Amino acid sequence: MTDTALGPGPGMKLYLMIWVGLLVIVAAEVALTYAGLSRGDLLLGLLLLALLEAILGVLYFMHMKWENRILLFSMAGYFGLALLFMNHIWRDAARMVSMYW
Amino acid sequence: MSDSSHAATVEAPPFGIETKKFTMWLFILADAATFAALLFAYGYLRAGSIDWPRPFEFGSTIVNALVMTFILLTSSLTMLMAVHHAQAGRRPQSVKWIWITALLGLLFAALHLREWFRMFGEGWSLSANPLGGPVAFSAGFFSITGLHLTHVFIGIVALSVVAVKFSRGKLTAGHIETTGLYWHFVDLVWMFVLPIVYLMNAK
Repeated sequence: MTDTALGPGPGMKLYLMIWVGLLVIVAAEVALTYAGLSRGDLLLGLLLLALLEAILGVLYFMHMKWENRILLFSMAGYFGLALLFMNHIWRDAARMVSMYW
Repeated sequence: MSDSSHAATVEAPPFGIETKKFTMWLFILADAATFAALLFAYGYLRAGSIDWPRPFEFGSTIVNALVMTFILLTSSLTMLMAVHHAQAGRRPQSVKWIWITALLGLLFAALHLREWFRMFGEGWSLSANPLGGPVAFSAGFFSITGLHLTHVFIGIVALSVVAVKFSRGKLTAGHIETTGLYWHFVDLVWMFVLPIVYLMNAK
């Protein structure tokens, strides 16, 4: 396979912008941490920011934006399903821990 | 069987991408589920403990974790440089950026290990919590960060092997991109480890 078969991709300028954006999000996470929020609100805020970082990373750094859309939806679908199952399993595990410990 | 009839029987790669790249995506999917399971378990353990410790001071642990984050994010950028040059056919420049990425990975690992050994010195371990709270905190902390650190070390080895083989002309730009996918994944996992394991436990 030749190198030209790798498909289109963005330039370094866009990568640099995403990198700066990710650093800004990390700074926002630190600001949130010391903003005096309740633990629940802090967790929600941090997880949303982490999710935003992951989306930016997958789409731009990992080139998913330029791949076949079906690949993106397949991966997201399988992973979402795995998270749903985990949420069910771990909640039940936590319930059993509280029963027997 | 002639070449043309043979070609007709070969299926197109799934999702229109190279097989090695697709395989890496499948690995990433499975590995992401592994990290998610650990973080879920950690979250439920924490939610079930009333005296969960928050031992991380800003001046030492949090600043160290932020420096590590900066290094890892920058290493993703240098990896992108390597892929960019590889795809443009500039092999020596690509190899140079791969080595820079590996060095940044080593720096990340060194800072991580320094943090670990500082915590060991304070009495933390997989089964010990010097603050008197649940040991699940330290077990979770060392398990999650340990698994991530293992991925970083594997990434450094993979980058080194790929750099040597690519410089000898034995690999293509596709291999560099596929290795880059793994390295970016290691970076993205840290984007969840930082808030859940470090920032949520800041004093």
